Amino acid sequence: MVTGQTFVALLPELVAVGFLILVLMVGVFFQRSVGVVAGLAALGALAVFGSAAGLLAAGFSGEFFGGGFVVDNFALYFKLIVAGSAFFAVLAAARWSGDTGDAPEYLTLILAVVLGSILVVSMRDLFGIFLAIELATIPSYAMVAFDRRRRESAEGGMKYLITGVVASSVLLYGIVLIYGVSGSALLGDVARTFSGSLSPVALLGLVLLLSGFAFKVSAAPFHFWTPDAYQGAPTSAAAFLSVAPKAALFAVLLRILLEGMPEARPTWTAVMAFLAILTMFVGNLAALRQRNVRRMLAYSSVAHSGYILAAFAALQGQGAGQAVEAVLIYSAAYAVMNLGAFLVIDLVGEDAKSFNGLFRTRPALAASMGVFMASLVGIPPFSGFWGKAWIIFSGAQSGSVLVYVVVGALVVNSVLSVPYYFGIIRNMFFEKPTLDAAEPPGGGALKASVYVLALLTALFFLLIVPISALAGGSGLG
Amino acid sequence: MPAQAQSVLDALLASPPLQAYLIVGAIMFAIGAWGALVRRNAVVIFMCVELMINGVNLTLVAFADFLPNAGGLGVGYAVLVIAIAAAEIAVGLAIVLAVFRSRRTVNVDEVTSMRG
Repeated sequence: MVTGQTFVALLPELVAVGFLILVLMVGVFFQRSVGVVAGLAALGALAVFGSAAGLLAAGFSGEFFGGGFVVDNFALYFKLIVAGSAFFAVLAAARWSGDTGDAPEYLTLILAVVLGSILVVSMRDLFGIFLAIELATIPSYAMVAFDRRRRESAEGGMKYLITGVVASSVLLYGIVLIYGVSGSALLGDVARTFSGSLSPVALLGLVLLLSGFAFKVSAAPFHFWTPDAYQGAPTSAAAFLSVAPKAALFAVLLRILLEGMPEARPTWTAVMAFLAILTMFVGNLAALRQRNVRRMLAYSSVAHSGYILAAFAALQGQGAGQAVEAVLIYSAAYAVMNLGAFLVIDLVGEDAKSFNGLFRTRPALAASMGVFMASLVGIPPFSGFWGKAWIIFSGAQSGSVLVYVVVGALVVNSVLSVPYYFGIIRNMFFEKPTLDAAEPPGGGALKASVYVLALLTALFFLLIVPISALAGGSGLG
Repeated sequence: MPAQAQSVLDALLASPPLQAYLIVGAIMFAIGAWGALVRRNAVVIFMCVELMINGVNLTLVAFADFLPNAGGLGVGYAVLVIAIAAAEIAVGLAIVLAVFRSRRTVNVDEVTSMRG
């Protein structure tokens, strides 16, 4: 039954829909005023953030629409991550999208991805999950292909799209098979089917479902679209898509696995362990060879998907609760550091050489980039360290040899990733400048967001306690 | 009519079991997946993806019809899936058109400016 409570529960989504329509309509009538449109879109992202934060602060929780839509701390937390990264993405996109002449359309696409991503983390119904995932991914194809001045953009968009739609149909087949075996798409009913020994159809459904998700979160061996899509995409799109929808997808995958198939845990933790090890090595080894910073960061995002999957493999034994915390912490930690690193590319350039001597010409920017790179490696006290530390702690408590292997691979990979992240730092601090000292004018909002993100990355340890308190009350794990 | 012909006719007229629908759906999905992997023309790949999605949809509708407790909910899902497939293809064809404008080809093997 739809009551007033339902509208409160849907507040972030309703706000997102409202601003999405508003931005598009204002764009129709004020075609020239990019500032107004971008301001509205940023305000929309802030309003979504604010409404989710309000619900979180009020301790609101409940199930709606017959149990298919759930509001709990876990979902609200991921809504905060999505809305927060959308705010920075809008700031980063404002000037660029104004230059293309299609700012309202581009900003609407960002808000559409936000809507899909904040819906998906609340879904408890497999078909609802599929719908929300599609709502987040279909606009993201358009975002990647948006830049008409660069040929790579449409090419990256086409590759992303073709692999994405194939992955969607694989995911849908998995969902339909699970629905057929369980007789219901609600995760609570699915859990009853996934107990005891699995029927072959249920197992096939699980494999297809996990493959579909592996595609979407760019886990190896399904990662091949990632470098082309992120290299071709506008920088703000690459920054946003590598963070927000991905965090939402990991969140919903966690919900499916923990609520929908808790008793099949030995099966899926083994799959996750395999995916995690493969993804970490593939991402890092490929990133080592890159000279284009954007492509390097794309492969680095593959590697970081591997790290988060390592937390999924650790969802067993004593460390299960801490593994849930690790996913929460890592998602936020990765969001601040990766968004920041991509935004710096927008200000400096995508060739590794353009970072040469940046410390002498633009010290504040170089210091920020240094913070992001150190954080992506996992050096304390920056955000990336805390994410990795939590994964290692939870893995150490799991009591499973396979998870120890995964944690070992994570440590090895962190060392493997040092050369390419520190290559940028070396270029910035020890090479002669190639860029002329004069900073290009404008980009004030972009620079401000880089500094804010660097500050968040550096001071992330202050957020650890609230996040782990939140994970304890999330109801998952 | 001979009894044998009558039984053949009955078998043809009887509604097929659930398995028949599932097998047809799986075959459609497999043909589509195979085509999406081996064909190089982007538009043909989209057609293959449509075949995959329709195979899944057939499976979904069959489950919704045969399952005792589904209560017709699956048919509603099927309509939504059709809408999603249409949206995917609409965005897809727009992107393919953008690629064609800049390169005069939609062969995915020839569209490779980024490597590594």
